[in-house]
Amino acid sequence: MKINTKQRKLVKILSIMVLLVILLLLISLNLGVVKISPMNVFQTLIGNGTPKDQFVLLELRLPRMVLAILIGAGLAVSGSILQAISKNDLAEPGIIGINAGAGFAVVLFIFTFQGTMTGLSALGIWLLPIFAFLGALTAAALIYILAWKKGINPIRLVLVGIGVNSGFGAAITIMQIKMNPQDFMKAAVWLSGDIWGTNWNFVIAILPWFILLIPYAIWKSHTLNILSLGDQLAIGLGTSVERERLKVLLVAVAIAGFCVAAGGGISFLGLVAPHIARKIMGPKHQLILPVAAIIGSFILLLSDAIGQNLLSPTQISVGIVVAIISAPYFIYLLMKTN
Amino acid sequence: MDILSTEHLKIGYEEKIIVHDLNIQIQSGKITTIIGPNGCGKSTLLKTLARIHKAKEGFVYLEGEQIHKIPTKKIAQRMAVLPQSPEAPSGLTIFDLASYGRSPHQKGFARLTEKDKEVINWALDVTGLTELKNQEVDTLSGGQRQRAWIAMAIAQETNLLLLDEPTTYLDMAHQLEVLQLLKKLNEEEGRTIVMVIHDLNHAARFSDHMIAMKSGKLIKEGTAEEVMTEEVLKEVFQIDAVVVKDPRTNKPACLSYELLKNQEKKELILAK
Repeated sequence: MKINTKQRKLVKILSIMVLLVILLLLISLNLGVVKISPMNVFQTLIGNGTPKDQFVLLELRLPRMVLAILIGAGLAVSGSILQAISKNDLAEPGIIGINAGAGFAVVLFIFTFQGTMTGLSALGIWLLPIFAFLGALTAAALIYILAWKKGINPIRLVLVGIGVNSGFGAAITIMQIKMNPQDFMKAAVWLSGDIWGTNWNFVIAILPWFILLIPYAIWKSHTLNILSLGDQLAIGLGTSVERERLKVLLVAVAIAGFCVAAGGGISFLGLVAPHIARKIMGPKHQLILPVAAIIGSFILLLSDAIGQNLLSPTQISVGIVVAIISAPYFIYLLMKTN
Repeated sequence: MDILSTEHLKIGYEEKIIVHDLNIQIQSGKITTIIGPNGCGKSTLLKTLARIHKAKEGFVYLEGEQIHKIPTKKIAQRMAVLPQSPEAPSGLTIFDLASYGRSPHQKGFARLTEKDKEVINWALDVTGLTELKNQEVDTLSGGQRQRAWIAMAIAQETNLLLLDEPTTYLDMAHQLEVLQLLKKLNEEEGRTIVMVIHDLNHAARFSDHMIAMKSGKLIKEGTAEEVMTEEVLKEVFQIDAVVVKDPRTNKPACLSYELLKNQEKKELILAK
């Protein structure tokens, strides 16, 4: 049976990708300004490391990688959902302005409540994701309202999204102008995509949301399949289209918001990962979502490793590396779409 | 009882009213076709019957119940809808597409039960697609593709099937193939079929009941013999047609037609 072969393929691809992610994780643990040999990494992981190694590995590098895995998976799932409901392969939280909305909220939050971009208070760590979510939600509501014309036209949605994106971009720039040079730089790096809250508190602050939302998105796979047939067919098949679309849209927006809170404005990943997943697995979301998530994790982890180490000790922000890796793919997609 | 009926139905988009005060009855177990010129509101009517479009006034009744009071999923267990030129996501297999027809009977993650698989395989068998079931929908010919969509619709296991121009963009042989399939479903399983169709001869040949519309109004309804007359065609399509009896099917057929001259058009308007 075809179904079984597909399930077997899913298991196979997932296993390979998980192995690759673990491998990459182990390699990147070795890399960095402070060199730690593989043996010492192993010793530290089983609890026999020196205090210095323990600090570098377990308190600095590992939380950063866990965040990369979460953000990569989150952006991929968010992009998959947006692509399904807009029936547009180019939809992605970064391109249609949802990330910019979240970014605006984050910069506003830090600038008004913290006064500086350099550190986060304990309360800030918990509040920040919520603010990012609200910003993402505002952007999504704006896009939805502006693009609504007796339903959502996929091309209109993307065009309006691009407009909303530049609108929020401009608003962020206005705030940046008022910052001191140091904060300005920080904000600029963060907006291009930077995993910044690299400690376990930050992981704990966003992990519950991901544990809740990503499985929910996968649970909604069938709804996404039906919605991607278009409104008329979806209604004919007994789907409450507006309600279901709103539900999955909220999930996509929330996930994107939390990703921005942790990783800044990483673009393209939400576009490329689902696309590769669709190429491998076909159009069913039961298969796309898990594969896209793990591919997203892999790409972000890889990009972060490159960004951290390529020009070490200078760091390239991860968003830029993702863009450099993904932009050619994006252009290829644009050329293929008429 | 009528399986589907309307009462004082008024349909439109925003300010524009397309259908005025329409009362029609669709009989169970029959093939009903709706004919009329472009823009007469036949597709809009079908969408309204299918609860895809909301009526401005009046009611649609599904087996006597007001349709907008029935949960949409429950409707989908009783009525399947195939819109005009539907599009499948690229890469979707025929089997997967047909499996979506089980949607109204499923919950949550939509794992297929043995019963679901049985129905899907039956739907593929009836539509002659069993051999092709692992092929992707985008690789099919127009006729096969339309059959795949019909397979999805009948996998819904509904008594009632609504189709909007199921033969558009198909060549002559494939048009007939699709219509014969629908006829078979009607005769062998007693499914009620309502469709909008452009080809008058096909409409006359395959329907038990015809509804002729013009400018949102019902002009004539009845058997093919009652509706496919030179008079009705003149009024509905403004054509001067020669209607004969098809020697093979014994149904009325439009042999040839001319456009009405302006003079005749005026007379037609004055006569009303």
